[in-house]
Amino acid sequence: MAEPVIEAKGLGVKFAMNRRRKRSMREMFIHGTKRDPNKGETDFWALRNVSFDVAKGECVGIVGKNGTGKSTLLKMIAGVLIPDEGTVTVRGKVAPLLELRAGFNDQLTGRENVNLVGSLHGMSPKTLEEKFDEIVDFAEIKPGFIDTPVRHYSSGMKVRLGFALISQLEHPVMLVDEVLAVGDKSFRNKCYDAIDRMLANERTMVLVSHSEGDLRRFCNRGLYVRQGELVLDTDIKAALEAYNADTKAEIDKRKKKDGKAA
Amino acid sequence: MASRALSVWQNRKVVGLLVRRDLKVKYQNSILGYAWSMLEPLAMACVYYFVFGVLFAATGGARSAPGGPDAPGGYALFLLSGLLPWMWFSTALSDAPKALITHAKLITTMKVPREIFPLAIVQTKFVEYLLTWPILLIFVFSLGGQTGWNVLWLPLAVLIQFAFTLGVTLLLSSINVLLRDVERIVRILNRVLFYATPIIYPISKVMEVGGIPDWFKTVYELNPLVGIFQLHHAVWYPSEAPDAITLSATIGGAILVLVIGYFTFRRLESAVLKEL
Repeated sequence: MAEPVIEAKGLGVKFAMNRRRKRSMREMFIHGTKRDPNKGETDFWALRNVSFDVAKGECVGIVGKNGTGKSTLLKMIAGVLIPDEGTVTVRGKVAPLLELRAGFNDQLTGRENVNLVGSLHGMSPKTLEEKFDEIVDFAEIKPGFIDTPVRHYSSGMKVRLGFALISQLEHPVMLVDEVLAVGDKSFRNKCYDAIDRMLANERTMVLVSHSEGDLRRFCNRGLYVRQGELVLDTDIKAALEAYNADTKAEIDKRKKKDGKAA
Repeated sequence: MASRALSVWQNRKVVGLLVRRDLKVKYQNSILGYAWSMLEPLAMACVYYFVFGVLFAATGGARSAPGGPDAPGGYALFLLSGLLPWMWFSTALSDAPKALITHAKLITTMKVPREIFPLAIVQTKFVEYLLTWPILLIFVFSLGGQTGWNVLWLPLAVLIQFAFTLGVTLLLSSINVLLRDVERIVRILNRVLFYATPIIYPISKVMEVGGIPDWFKTVYELNPLVGIFQLHHAVWYPSEAPDAITLSATIGGAILVLVIGYFTFRRLESAVLKEL
């Protein structure tokens, strides 16, 4: 088998918890260590011991509750977060669509933003020029709006333009974080088609989503992340089932507790 | 380190784009546009000329172009040849703490070498500095400023200043993400460095004063900016050229600051990314 496109080995990243604020000099000198607001500070591993390989052409869905490190994992694959432990190797360029924004600058117009972000992602001026109309068309930005500063755009418009741009990149790896949930129905359909096209093109994709439908539709593999640990690495169906089972158990437990209280 | 430098080099187009974008945003809503790059230092020069060239001169404190008031170019050229490169350093210094914070959106969504953002600031300000050259040349011709071989001090001055400014920007941009105090310090530092550097006065003024202890003079000369601005002045006033010791101290200091800045930046990178 060929080398995996994404290779994660023992990934771990920690954040400082309970860090309310920095101590001021005054507190340090006058109160010594007595009144340290960070006393309860503990390092919190958002993710630990996560290892997996993704082969070319695979579409991997990551499922899990909020705050279990799904987006953090995606950010590390994208290279915008440096792991404290382990390594992640990505062979090939990455087209990331993280946190519903493509890094647009509010002050610049849509056109300037597309040109800037496109070039930052390695598109040549020629390709940009060729694809520009297609991008605007796909994003359903009305003519005239494209030369308006992005700060006047609606959030839907920003996301559409971001997706339109990123989906034009011909990078072999695509990372998508909760983007599909935003657009309206007709736009979502267009996104589905675009993703289908990309997957047919042997591109590798990692998807974070809470929409079971989306995940079942595109992914052939699922990673289930629970409390910063990778608990399951199977096909998407099994991953979703495990996730649903856990969720159900949790709801039952809560109901029971509520029942007792009442 | 070499591979990082290479990846920055591969992204030089991106730096160019950021520079152009910054300039564009800056002048977007103004009528005079790029002219502001020239008007700002010119206005500053007028103010300083009025205070130090006219008021102080009239009350006995001599206006002080090296070589006396009759030197070619006079005090006005002396002032301007120091102020223009100072604006480059000073504007870069005041933007440095925000270099990464303002691009938080780009940095958290896209993998680019993070060094390019501080680099883009230094370059943007450098371009603005180049845009002020017409002003300087007008003054050179109308005041009869003269230069010869000493014009070669200029590329050296620019090179050292670029390295020094980049080092400072790398250092401040990364620290400020974690400790916002830096922004405040920079404001004070900007003022202090302006007067602690021979920009509006020749360095001989400091060295002549008997009341200043020798150790203070040594400390004063340790500031790499002193040598850099002596070089800038020396282009028009050969007597200002720094001696070999000052020159090597300046070059060494600038390189040291660049290295410290770079390593601090790399060391803090992981923490900075989490914080953004």
